[in-house]
Amino acid sequence: MPKEFTIPPVTFPTSNTPNPTTTTTTTNTPQAPHLHQRQPPTAPFQPPRPSASSLPFMSFDIASTSTSTTSSPFFPPPSSTSSASALFAGEEPSLLEELEINPSLIWRKTLSLIHPFRLNTSLHSDPDLSGPFLYYFAFSLFQLLAGKVQFGVILGWLAISSIFLYSILNFLAGKNGNLDLYRSFSVVGYCLLPIVIYSAASLFLPPTPTTAAFLIAAVFVIWATRVSSRLLAVDDLGASDHRALIAYPCFLIYSLFSMLVMF
Amino acid sequence: MYNDMGSQSGMLRLRPNGHHNSSGNTFSEAGFGLIRGGLGAYGERILGSSEYVQSNVSAILAFFICKYVDASLLPSRLLEQISRYLSDPNYYFRVNDHYVRNKLKVVLFPFLHRGHWTRVSEPVGGRLSYRPPMHDINAPDLYIPLMAFGTYVILATLLLGLHGKFNPEALNLLFVKGLLGWFLQVSLLKLSLFSLSSGEVPLLDIVAYAGYAYTGLSLAVLGRIFWSYSYYFLMPWTCLSMGIFLVKTMKRVLFAEVRSYDSTTHHYLLLFIALAQFPLFIWLGNVSIHWLL
Repeated sequence: MPKEFTIPPVTFPTSNTPNPTTTTTTTNTPQAPHLHQRQPPTAPFQPPRPSASSLPFMSFDIASTSTSTTSSPFFPPPSSTSSASALFAGEEPSLLEELEINPSLIWRKTLSLIHPFRLNTSLHSDPDLSGPFLYYFAFSLFQLLAGKVQFGVILGWLAISSIFLYSILNFLAGKNGNLDLYRSFSVVGYCLLPIVIYSAASLFLPPTPTTAAFLIAAVFVIWATRVSSRLLAVDDLGASDHRALIAYPCFLIYSLFSMLVMF
Repeated sequence: MYNDMGSQSGMLRLRPNGHHNSSGNTFSEAGFGLIRGGLGAYGERILGSSEYVQSNVSAILAFFICKYVDASLLPSRLLEQISRYLSDPNYYFRVNDHYVRNKLKVVLFPFLHRGHWTRVSEPVGGRLSYRPPMHDINAPDLYIPLMAFGTYVILATLLLGLHGKFNPEALNLLFVKGLLGWFLQVSLLKLSLFSLSSGEVPLLDIVAYAGYAYTGLSLAVLGRIFWSYSYYFLMPWTCLSMGIFLVKTMKRVLFAEVRSYDSTTHHYLLLFIALAQFPLFIWLGNVSIHWLL
Protein backbone atom coordinates (compact mmCIF):
# COMPACT_ATOMS: atom_id res chain seq x y z
CA MET A 1 0.00 0.00 0.00
CA PRO A 2 1.58 3.29 -1.08
CA LYS A 3 2.26 5.82 1.49
CA GLU A 4 0.26 8.92 1.19
CA PHE A 5 1.84 12.29 1.30
CA THR A 6 -0.13 15.27 2.16
CA ILE A 7 0.40 17.99 -0.37
CA PRO A 8 -0.49 21.43 0.77
CA PRO A 9 -3.00 23.18 -1.39
CA VAL A 10 -1.82 25.86 -3.80
CA THR A 11 -3.32 29.13 -2.89
CA PHE A 12 -2.67 32.48 -4.44
CA PRO A 13 -3.18 35.26 -1.98
CA THR A 14 -4.98 37.73 -4.22
CA SER A 15 -6.86 35.51 -6.54
CA ASN A 16 -10.58 35.29 -6.03
CA THR A 17 -10.94 31.60 -6.29
CA PRO A 18 -8.15 29.67 -4.89
CA ASN A 19 -7.64 26.47 -6.71
CA PRO A 20 -6.59 23.85 -4.42
CA THR A 21 -5.15 21.20 -6.61
CA THR A 22 -3.48 18.22 -5.26
CA THR A 23 -2.33 16.73 -8.47
CA THR A 24 -0.77 19.64 -10.24
CA THR A 25 2.67 20.60 -9.26
CA THR A 26 3.34 23.74 -7.49
CA THR A 27 3.95 26.06 -10.34
CA ASN A 28 4.32 29.68 -10.26
CA THR A 29 2.06 30.59 -13.10
CA PRO A 30 -0.72 32.87 -12.03
CA GLN A 31 -4.24 32.06 -12.99
CA ALA A 32 -4.58 34.80 -15.52
CA PRO A 33 -8.30 35.40 -15.71
CA HIS A 34 -8.58 35.46 -12.03
CA LEU A 35 -5.82 37.71 -11.04
CA HIS A 36 -6.47 41.36 -10.95
CA GLN A 37 -3.22 42.56 -9.69
CA ARG A 38 0.26 41.44 -10.31
CA GLN A 39 2.61 40.36 -7.73
CA PRO A 40 6.28 39.92 -7.93
CA PRO A 41 6.84 36.22 -8.28
CA THR A 42 8.37 34.64 -5.29
CA ALA A 43 10.48 31.62 -5.50
CA PRO A 44 8.37 28.61 -4.73
CA PHE A 45 10.99 26.85 -2.78
CA GLN A 46 12.91 28.80 -0.26
CA PRO A 47 16.06 27.16 0.92
CA PRO A 48 16.59 27.41 4.60
CA ARG A 49 18.56 30.56 5.30
CA PRO A 50 21.67 29.76 7.14
CA SER A 51 21.49 32.03 10.09
CA ALA A 52 24.59 30.82 11.73
CA SER A 53 25.58 27.87 9.65
CA SER A 54 29.06 26.87 8.76
CA LEU A 55 28.51 26.96 5.05
CA PRO A 56 27.62 30.39 3.78
CA PHE A 57 26.20 29.85 0.41
CA MET A 58 24.77 32.41 -1.85
CA SER A 59 21.06 32.40 -1.82
CA PHE A 60 19.84 33.69 -5.09
CA ASP A 61 16.95 35.84 -4.22
CA ILE A 62 15.43 37.82 -7.00
CA ALA A 63 14.09 40.57 -4.83
CA SER A 64 17.38 41.34 -3.23
CA THR A 65 19.39 41.43 -6.46
CA SER A 66 17.12 43.84 -8.23
CA THR A 67 17.55 46.42 -5.52
CA SER A 68 21.26 46.07 -5.06
CA THR A 69 22.26 46.82 -8.62
CA THR A 70 21.79 50.26 -9.98
CA SER A 71 18.51 51.44 -11.17
CA SER A 72 19.17 51.10 -14.87
CA PRO A 73 22.02 49.22 -16.46
CA PHE A 74 22.94 52.01 -18.79
CA PHE A 75 23.76 54.82 -16.45
CA PRO A 76 26.05 53.61 -13.75
CA PRO A 77 26.92 56.22 -11.18
CA PRO A 78 30.44 57.52 -11.49
CA SER A 79 31.52 56.13 -8.18
CA SER A 80 30.90 52.58 -9.22
CA THR A 81 33.55 52.72 -11.89
CA SER A 82 36.19 52.85 -9.21
CA SER A 83 36.05 49.27 -8.07
CA ALA A 84 33.74 46.46 -7.28
CA SER A 85 33.82 47.33 -3.65
CA ALA A 86 30.90 49.66 -4.06
CA LEU A 87 28.80 46.75 -5.18
CA PHE A 88 27.19 44.03 -3.31
CA ALA A 89 29.79 41.77 -1.80
CA GLY A 90 30.29 38.74 -3.99
CA GLU A 91 28.54 40.39 -6.90
CA GLU A 92 30.33 40.85 -10.18
CA PRO A 93 30.47 44.27 -11.79
CA SER A 94 28.25 44.76 -14.74
CA LEU A 95 29.59 43.95 -18.17
CA LEU A 96 29.82 47.54 -19.32
CA GLU A 97 31.97 48.45 -16.37
CA GLU A 98 34.25 45.52 -16.86
CA LEU A 99 34.79 46.49 -20.44
CA GLU A 100 35.31 50.07 -19.31
CA ILE A 101 32.72 51.35 -21.67
CA ASN A 102 31.23 54.33 -20.00
CA PRO A 103 28.23 55.47 -22.02
CA SER A 104 27.57 58.60 -20.03
CA LEU A 105 31.11 59.76 -20.58
CA ILE A 106 30.84 59.05 -24.29
CA TRP A 107 27.63 61.04 -24.42
CA ARG A 108 29.14 63.97 -22.57
CA LYS A 109 32.19 64.01 -24.80
CA THR A 110 29.97 63.90 -27.87
CA LEU A 111 27.95 66.83 -26.64
CA SER A 112 31.06 68.83 -25.97
CA LEU A 113 32.30 68.24 -29.50
CA ILE A 114 29.11 69.31 -31.21
CA HIS A 115 29.60 72.95 -30.39
CA PRO A 116 32.44 73.92 -32.72
CA PHE A 117 33.57 77.03 -30.94
CA ARG A 118 33.53 76.31 -27.28
CA LEU A 119 35.34 73.22 -26.23
CA ASN A 120 35.66 71.76 -22.80
CA THR A 121 39.04 70.16 -23.08
CA SER A 122 39.14 68.81 -19.54
CA LEU A 123 36.60 66.16 -20.43
CA HIS A 124 38.93 64.72 -23.00
CA SER A 125 41.95 64.45 -20.79
CA ASP A 126 41.39 60.78 -20.16
CA PRO A 127 41.45 58.90 -23.42
CA ASP A 128 38.84 56.39 -24.30
CA LEU A 129 38.58 53.95 -27.15
CA SER A 130 34.96 52.96 -26.95
CA GLY A 131 33.68 56.27 -28.27
CA PRO A 132 35.87 56.09 -31.37
CA PHE A 133 34.76 52.54 -31.87
CA LEU A 134 31.14 53.64 -31.89
CA TYR A 135 31.91 56.44 -34.32
CA TYR A 136 33.80 54.08 -36.59
CA PHE A 137 30.85 51.75 -36.69
CA ALA A 138 28.40 54.55 -37.31
CA PHE A 139 30.57 55.94 -40.09
CA SER A 140 30.94 52.57 -41.76
CA LEU A 141 27.24 51.92 -41.52
CA PHE A 142 26.39 55.27 -43.09
CA GLN A 143 28.81 54.50 -45.89
CA LEU A 144 27.10 51.16 -46.28
CA LEU A 145 23.82 52.98 -46.68
CA ALA A 146 25.44 54.92 -49.48
CA GLY A 147 26.43 51.67 -51.13
CA LYS A 148 30.12 51.61 -50.28
CA VAL A 149 31.50 48.76 -48.24
CA GLN A 150 34.50 50.35 -46.60
CA PHE A 151 34.79 48.87 -43.12
CA GLY A 152 38.38 47.76 -43.43
CA VAL A 153 39.49 50.83 -45.28
CA ILE A 154 38.23 53.20 -42.61
CA LEU A 155 39.73 51.21 -39.77
CA GLY A 156 43.08 51.01 -41.52
CA TRP A 157 43.10 54.71 -42.27
CA LEU A 158 42.20 55.52 -38.67
CA ALA A 159 45.08 53.44 -37.39
CA ILE A 160 47.62 54.83 -39.80
CA SER A 161 46.57 58.42 -39.35
CA SER A 162 46.74 58.15 -35.57
CA ILE A 163 50.25 56.69 -35.80
CA PHE A 164 51.21 59.48 -38.20
CA LEU A 165 49.80 62.14 -35.89
CA TYR A 166 51.50 60.57 -32.88
CA SER A 167 54.93 60.61 -34.49
CA ILE A 168 54.64 64.08 -36.02
CA LEU A 169 53.36 65.74 -32.88
CA ASN A 170 55.89 64.10 -30.65
CA PHE A 171 58.68 65.23 -32.93
CA LEU A 172 57.29 68.74 -33.07
CA ALA A 173 56.94 69.02 -29.35
CA GLY A 174 60.53 68.05 -28.81
CA LYS A 175 61.38 67.10 -25.30
CA ASN A 176 58.05 68.01 -23.80
CA GLY A 177 55.87 65.86 -25.96
CA ASN A 178 53.69 63.54 -23.96
CA LEU A 179 51.18 62.41 -26.48
CA ASP A 180 50.91 58.65 -26.36
CA LEU A 181 49.45 56.48 -29.06
CA TYR A 182 46.32 55.65 -27.09
CA ARG A 183 45.46 59.29 -26.66
CA SER A 184 46.23 60.07 -30.27
CA PHE A 185 43.87 57.35 -31.44
CA SER A 186 41.24 58.60 -29.04
CA VAL A 187 41.47 62.18 -30.32
CA VAL A 188 41.40 61.16 -33.98
CA GLY A 189 38.43 58.91 -33.32
CA TYR A 190 36.40 61.42 -31.37
CA CYS A 191 36.97 64.20 -33.85
CA LEU A 192 35.60 61.90 -36.52
CA LEU A 193 32.18 63.01 -35.34
CA PRO A 194 31.77 65.83 -37.88
CA ILE A 195 32.68 63.43 -40.65
CA VAL A 196 30.08 60.96 -39.40
CA ILE A 197 27.50 63.71 -39.48
CA TYR A 198 28.67 64.66 -42.96
CA SER A 199 28.30 61.13 -44.24
CA ALA A 200 24.82 60.95 -42.78
CA ALA A 201 23.94 64.28 -44.35
CA SER A 202 25.49 63.45 -47.71
CA LEU A 203 22.83 60.83 -48.24
CA PHE A 204 20.39 63.66 -48.75
CA LEU A 205 22.56 66.36 -50.19
CA PRO A 206 23.35 67.10 -53.84
CA PRO A 207 25.95 64.85 -55.43
CA THR A 208 29.57 65.67 -55.51
CA PRO A 209 30.76 67.50 -58.58
CA THR A 210 28.79 70.60 -57.64
CA THR A 211 30.46 73.46 -55.86
CA ALA A 212 27.89 73.43 -53.09
CA ALA A 213 28.89 69.90 -52.15
CA PHE A 214 32.51 70.93 -51.86
CA LEU A 215 31.61 73.87 -49.68
CA ILE A 216 29.61 71.66 -47.35
CA ALA A 217 32.48 69.20 -47.15
CA ALA A 218 34.86 72.05 -46.43
CA VAL A 219 32.68 73.21 -43.54
CA PHE A 220 32.75 69.80 -41.90
CA VAL A 221 36.46 69.31 -42.46
CA ILE A 222 37.27 72.66 -40.95
CA TRP A 223 35.06 71.89 -37.97
CA ALA A 224 36.87 68.60 -37.40
CA THR A 225 40.27 70.23 -37.79
CA ARG A 226 39.47 72.97 -35.35
CA VAL A 227 38.24 70.60 -32.71
CA SER A 228 41.11 68.17 -32.99
CA SER A 229 43.81 70.82 -32.98
CA ARG A 230 42.26 72.34 -29.87
CA LEU A 231 42.30 68.97 -28.17
CA LEU A 232 45.85 68.22 -29.17
CA ALA A 233 47.22 71.62 -28.28
CA VAL A 234 46.42 71.00 -24.63
CA ASP A 235 49.25 68.51 -24.36
CA ASP A 236 51.83 70.54 -26.06
CA LEU A 237 53.51 73.12 -23.90
CA GLY A 238 55.01 75.15 -26.69
CA ALA A 239 51.79 75.17 -28.64
CA SER A 240 51.52 78.90 -29.01
CA ASP A 241 54.44 78.79 -31.40
CA HIS A 242 53.00 76.34 -33.80
CA ARG A 243 49.25 76.11 -33.70
CA ALA A 244 49.05 76.01 -37.46
CA LEU A 245 51.69 73.31 -37.53
CA ILE A 246 49.53 71.09 -35.36
CA ALA A 247 46.37 71.88 -37.27
CA TYR A 248 47.75 71.02 -40.69
CA PRO A 249 48.21 67.26 -40.22
CA CYS A 250 44.73 67.09 -38.71
CA PHE A 251 43.39 68.91 -41.75
CA LEU A 252 45.05 66.38 -44.03
CA ILE A 253 43.62 63.46 -42.10
CA TYR A 254 40.04 64.70 -42.07
CA SER A 255 40.07 65.77 -45.69
CA LEU A 256 41.13 62.22 -46.46
CA PHE A 257 38.12 60.85 -44.62
CA SER A 258 35.80 63.34 -46.22
CA MET A 259 36.99 62.17 -49.62
CA LEU A 260 35.71 58.74 -48.75
CA VAL A 261 32.33 60.29 -48.23
CA MET A 262 32.41 62.46 -51.30
CA PHE A 263 33.46 59.92 -53.88
CA MET B 1 82.04 65.69 -40.54
CA TYR B 2 80.03 68.09 -42.56
CA ASN B 3 82.20 71.14 -42.38
CA ASP B 4 81.02 74.52 -43.30
CA MET B 5 83.30 76.75 -45.27
CA GLY B 6 80.96 79.69 -45.01
CA SER B 7 83.22 81.28 -42.47
CA GLN B 8 85.61 83.00 -44.71
CA SER B 9 88.87 81.78 -43.21
CA GLY B 10 90.02 79.45 -45.91
CA MET B 11 91.51 76.54 -44.08
CA LEU B 12 89.44 76.40 -40.94
CA ARG B 13 88.66 72.77 -40.80
CA LEU B 14 87.89 70.71 -37.77
CA ARG B 15 89.02 67.19 -37.32
CA PRO B 16 86.25 64.98 -38.62
CA ASN B 17 84.80 62.73 -36.01
CA GLY B 18 83.68 59.19 -36.42
CA HIS B 19 80.11 59.99 -35.59
CA HIS B 20 78.08 62.84 -36.81
CA ASN B 21 76.26 65.29 -34.69
CA SER B 22 74.50 67.99 -36.54
CA SER B 23 72.22 69.15 -33.80
CA GLY B 24 72.87 72.28 -31.85
CA ASN B 25 71.10 71.46 -28.67
CA THR B 26 72.75 70.04 -25.66
CA PHE B 27 70.20 67.34 -25.23
CA SER B 28 71.45 65.20 -28.07
CA GLU B 29 75.04 65.98 -27.14
CA ALA B 30 74.58 64.59 -23.70
CA GLY B 31 72.40 61.84 -25.01
CA PHE B 32 74.99 60.73 -27.44
CA GLY B 33 77.54 60.41 -24.69
CA LEU B 34 75.11 58.31 -22.74
CA ILE B 35 74.53 56.03 -25.68
CA ARG B 36 78.18 55.30 -25.96
CA GLY B 37 78.12 54.22 -22.37
CA GLY B 38 75.62 51.57 -23.15
CA LEU B 39 71.96 51.06 -23.48
CA GLY B 40 71.40 50.46 -19.81
CA ALA B 41 70.89 54.09 -19.03
CA TYR B 42 68.27 54.28 -21.71
CA GLY B 43 66.45 51.13 -20.74
CA GLU B 44 63.74 52.73 -18.75
CA ARG B 45 63.45 55.68 -21.07
CA ILE B 46 62.88 53.53 -24.10
CA LEU B 47 60.05 51.71 -22.41
CA GLY B 48 58.30 54.84 -21.18
CA SER B 49 55.58 55.67 -23.63
CA SER B 50 55.93 59.39 -23.73
CA GLU B 51 59.63 59.57 -24.17
CA TYR B 52 59.80 56.81 -26.67
CA VAL B 53 60.11 59.14 -29.54
CA GLN B 54 62.46 61.61 -27.97
CA SER B 55 65.12 59.15 -27.00
CA ASN B 56 67.62 58.69 -29.68
CA VAL B 57 66.26 56.84 -32.67
CA SER B 58 69.55 55.25 -33.50
CA ALA B 59 69.72 53.73 -30.02
CA ILE B 60 66.39 52.06 -30.60
CA LEU B 61 67.42 50.83 -34.02
CA ALA B 62 70.64 49.38 -32.67
CA PHE B 63 68.78 47.74 -29.83
CA PHE B 64 66.35 46.03 -32.15
CA ILE B 65 68.98 44.96 -34.62
CA CYS B 66 71.07 43.43 -31.88
CA LYS B 67 68.17 41.67 -30.36
CA TYR B 68 66.29 40.38 -33.34
CA VAL B 69 68.59 40.26 -36.28
CA ASP B 70 72.00 39.35 -35.09
CA ALA B 71 72.87 38.83 -31.50
CA SER B 72 76.58 38.85 -32.05
CA LEU B 73 76.87 42.47 -33.09
CA LEU B 74 78.19 44.75 -30.45
CA PRO B 75 75.66 47.42 -29.58
CA SER B 76 78.13 50.22 -29.25
CA ARG B 77 79.82 49.64 -32.58
CA LEU B 78 76.50 49.23 -34.26
CA LEU B 79 75.34 52.48 -32.77
CA GLU B 80 78.30 54.26 -34.21
CA GLN B 81 77.62 52.85 -37.63
CA ILE B 82 73.96 53.74 -37.51
CA SER B 83 74.58 57.21 -36.16
CA ARG B 84 76.86 57.97 -39.01
CA TYR B 85 73.98 57.57 -41.39
CA LEU B 86 70.97 58.52 -39.34
CA SER B 87 71.50 61.70 -37.47
CA ASP B 88 69.18 62.71 -34.70
CA PRO B 89 65.75 63.36 -36.25
CA ASN B 90 64.71 65.71 -33.48
CA TYR B 91 66.90 68.37 -35.00
CA TYR B 92 64.80 68.43 -38.15
CA PHE B 93 61.54 69.04 -36.37
CA ARG B 94 62.46 72.06 -34.33
CA VAL B 95 60.43 74.43 -36.41
CA ASN B 96 57.96 77.15 -35.83
CA ASP B 97 55.38 79.02 -37.88
CA HIS B 98 57.74 81.75 -38.94
CA TYR B 99 60.31 79.34 -40.25
CA VAL B 100 57.74 77.32 -42.18
CA ARG B 101 56.29 80.36 -43.90
CA ASN B 102 59.65 81.73 -44.96
CA LYS B 103 61.01 78.39 -46.03
CA LEU B 104 58.02 77.83 -48.27
CA LYS B 105 58.73 81.17 -49.88
CA VAL B 106 62.35 80.19 -50.41
CA VAL B 107 61.47 76.82 -51.92
CA LEU B 108 58.79 78.10 -54.26
CA PHE B 109 60.48 81.35 -55.28
CA PRO B 110 64.20 80.75 -54.85
CA PHE B 111 65.15 83.50 -57.26
CA LEU B 112 63.64 86.05 -54.90
CA HIS B 113 65.74 85.02 -51.93
CA ARG B 114 68.07 87.89 -51.19
CA GLY B 115 70.13 86.44 -48.39
CA HIS B 116 72.93 83.97 -48.50
CA TRP B 117 72.43 80.26 -48.77
CA THR B 118 74.88 78.96 -46.27
CA ARG B 119 73.86 77.36 -43.05
CA VAL B 120 74.71 79.15 -39.88
CA SER B 121 76.95 77.15 -37.64
CA GLU B 122 77.90 77.64 -34.05
CA PRO B 123 80.53 75.99 -31.93
CA VAL B 124 78.94 73.72 -29.39
CA GLY B 125 81.09 71.80 -27.03
CA GLY B 126 84.20 72.21 -29.11
CA ARG B 127 82.60 70.94 -32.27
CA LEU B 128 81.11 72.98 -35.04
CA SER B 129 77.49 72.17 -35.56
CA TYR B 130 74.56 73.74 -37.31
CA ARG B 131 71.86 75.75 -35.74
CA PRO B 132 68.41 74.20 -35.72
CA PRO B 133 65.83 75.24 -38.33
CA MET B 134 64.12 77.59 -35.92
CA HIS B 135 67.05 79.94 -36.04
CA ASP B 136 68.34 79.42 -39.53
CA ILE B 137 66.33 79.74 -42.70
CA ASN B 138 68.77 77.65 -44.70
CA ALA B 139 68.69 74.61 -42.46
CA PRO B 140 66.80 71.60 -43.83
CA ASP B 141 63.84 70.31 -41.90
CA LEU B 142 61.67 67.25 -42.20
CA TYR B 143 58.32 68.75 -41.31
CA ILE B 144 57.73 70.55 -44.61
CA PRO B 145 58.70 67.57 -46.80
CA LEU B 146 56.44 65.21 -44.86
CA MET B 147 53.49 67.58 -44.97
CA ALA B 148 54.09 68.33 -48.63
CA PHE B 149 54.17 64.63 -49.40
CA GLY B 150 50.89 64.11 -47.57
CA THR B 151 49.36 67.08 -49.38
CA TYR B 152 50.51 65.71 -52.71
CA VAL B 153 48.96 62.30 -52.05
CA ILE B 154 45.66 63.76 -50.89
CA LEU B 155 45.42 66.29 -53.72
CA ALA B 156 46.22 63.63 -56.27
CA THR B 157 43.46 61.44 -54.82
CA LEU B 158 41.09 64.40 -55.05
CA LEU B 159 42.05 64.89 -58.68
CA LEU B 160 41.38 61.25 -59.41
CA GLY B 161 38.06 61.49 -57.67
CA LEU B 162 37.04 64.49 -59.73
CA HIS B 163 37.63 62.45 -62.85
CA GLY B 164 35.54 59.68 -61.40
CA LYS B 165 38.35 57.24 -60.84
CA PHE B 166 38.49 57.23 -57.09
CA ASN B 167 38.82 54.08 -55.05
CA PRO B 168 40.71 53.53 -51.80
CA GLU B 169 43.32 51.37 -53.44
CA ALA B 170 44.24 54.28 -55.67
CA LEU B 171 45.44 56.06 -52.56
CA ASN B 172 47.81 53.23 -51.80
CA LEU B 173 49.12 53.31 -55.34
CA LEU B 174 49.73 57.05 -55.23
CA PHE B 175 51.45 56.74 -51.88
CA VAL B 176 53.86 54.12 -53.12
CA LYS B 177 54.47 56.03 -56.33
CA GLY B 178 55.27 59.13 -54.32
CA LEU B 179 57.64 57.19 -52.08
CA LEU B 180 59.37 55.83 -55.12
CA GLY B 181 59.75 59.31 -56.54
CA TRP B 182 61.21 60.51 -53.26
CA PHE B 183 63.61 57.62 -53.22
CA LEU B 184 64.69 58.35 -56.78
CA GLN B 185 65.35 61.96 -55.91
CA VAL B 186 67.36 60.97 -52.85
CA SER B 187 69.43 58.55 -54.84
CA LEU B 188 70.05 61.15 -57.52
CA LEU B 189 71.38 63.62 -54.99
CA LYS B 190 73.32 61.03 -53.08
CA LEU B 191 74.95 59.58 -56.17
CA SER B 192 76.01 62.95 -57.45
CA LEU B 193 77.50 63.82 -54.09
CA PHE B 194 79.16 60.46 -53.89
CA SER B 195 80.81 60.78 -57.24
CA LEU B 196 82.42 64.04 -56.30
CA SER B 197 83.22 63.82 -52.64
CA SER B 198 83.42 61.39 -49.82
CA GLY B 199 79.69 61.57 -49.28
CA GLU B 200 79.72 62.34 -45.59
CA VAL B 201 76.54 64.32 -45.74
CA PRO B 202 73.93 62.97 -43.30
CA LEU B 203 71.21 60.98 -44.96
CA LEU B 204 68.34 62.85 -43.38
CA ASP B 205 69.63 66.10 -44.86
CA ILE B 206 69.43 64.58 -48.33
CA VAL B 207 65.99 63.19 -47.58
CA ALA B 208 64.87 66.64 -46.52
CA TYR B 209 66.24 68.35 -49.61
CA ALA B 210 64.64 65.77 -51.84
CA GLY B 211 61.31 66.13 -50.12
CA TYR B 212 61.07 69.83 -50.87
CA ALA B 213 60.15 68.87 -54.41
CA TYR B 214 56.75 67.84 -53.17
CA THR B 215 55.82 71.39 -52.26
CA GLY B 216 56.06 72.46 -55.87
CA LEU B 217 54.31 69.33 -57.01
CA SER B 218 51.42 69.90 -54.62
CA LEU B 219 51.05 73.39 -55.96
CA ALA B 220 50.99 72.10 -59.54
CA VAL B 221 48.37 69.47 -58.71
CA LEU B 222 46.28 72.06 -56.87
CA GLY B 223 46.36 74.24 -59.94
CA ARG B 224 45.34 71.28 -62.04
CA ILE B 225 42.29 70.73 -59.87
CA PHE B 226 40.98 74.21 -60.40
CA TRP B 227 41.78 74.69 -64.06
CA SER B 228 43.44 71.97 -66.01
CA TYR B 229 45.39 74.30 -68.29
CA SER B 230 47.06 76.02 -65.40
CA TYR B 231 49.00 72.83 -64.89
CA TYR B 232 50.97 73.40 -68.08
CA PHE B 233 52.18 76.68 -66.72
CA LEU B 234 52.64 75.81 -63.04
CA MET B 235 54.49 72.58 -63.67
CA PRO B 236 57.52 73.93 -65.58
CA TRP B 237 57.70 76.86 -63.26
CA THR B 238 57.84 74.76 -60.08
CA CYS B 239 60.27 72.44 -61.82
CA LEU B 240 62.59 75.33 -62.50
CA SER B 241 62.23 76.67 -58.97
CA MET B 242 63.08 73.31 -57.50
CA GLY B 243 66.03 73.04 -59.86
CA ILE B 244 67.36 76.40 -58.80
CA PHE B 245 66.82 75.60 -55.13
CA LEU B 246 68.64 72.31 -55.38
CA VAL B 247 71.49 73.79 -57.36
CA LYS B 248 72.08 76.51 -54.82
CA THR B 249 71.87 74.16 -51.88
CA MET B 250 74.03 71.48 -53.41
CA LYS B 251 76.59 74.04 -54.37
CA ARG B 252 77.05 74.92 -50.73
CA VAL B 253 77.11 71.31 -49.71
CA LEU B 254 79.69 70.40 -52.29
CA PHE B 255 81.74 73.42 -51.54
CA ALA B 256 81.91 72.37 -47.95
CA GLU B 257 82.63 68.74 -48.60
CA VAL B 258 85.09 68.44 -51.36
CA ARG B 259 88.82 68.66 -50.90
CA SER B 260 89.84 69.51 -54.40
CA TYR B 261 87.55 71.91 -56.11
CA ASP B 262 87.10 70.85 -59.70
CA SER B 263 84.97 73.50 -61.23
CA THR B 264 83.74 72.03 -64.50
CA THR B 265 82.65 68.67 -63.14
CA HIS B 266 80.79 70.40 -60.38
CA HIS B 267 78.93 72.63 -62.74
CA TYR B 268 77.96 69.84 -65.08
CA LEU B 269 76.71 67.78 -62.23
CA LEU B 270 74.67 70.60 -60.81
CA LEU B 271 73.18 71.25 -64.21
CA PHE B 272 72.35 67.58 -64.49
CA ILE B 273 70.56 67.67 -61.13
CA ALA B 274 68.49 70.62 -62.27
CA LEU B 275 67.59 69.02 -65.57
CA ALA B 276 66.71 65.70 -63.99
CA GLN B 277 63.92 67.40 -62.10
CA PHE B 278 61.90 67.64 -65.28
CA PRO B 279 61.26 63.95 -65.97
CA LEU B 280 60.68 63.38 -62.28
CA PHE B 281 58.06 66.08 -62.04
CA ILE B 282 56.38 65.00 -65.25
CA TRP B 283 56.15 61.44 -63.98
CA LEU B 284 54.85 62.39 -60.55
CA GLY B 285 52.56 65.10 -61.79
CA ASN B 286 50.82 62.81 -64.19
CA VAL B 287 48.25 61.60 -61.74
CA SER B 288 46.60 58.46 -62.93
CA ILE B 289 45.81 54.95 -61.84
CA HIS B 290 48.50 53.59 -64.04
CA TRP B 291 51.69 52.71 -62.27
CA LEU B 292 54.38 53.78 -64.63
CA LEU B 293 52.78 56.64 -66.42
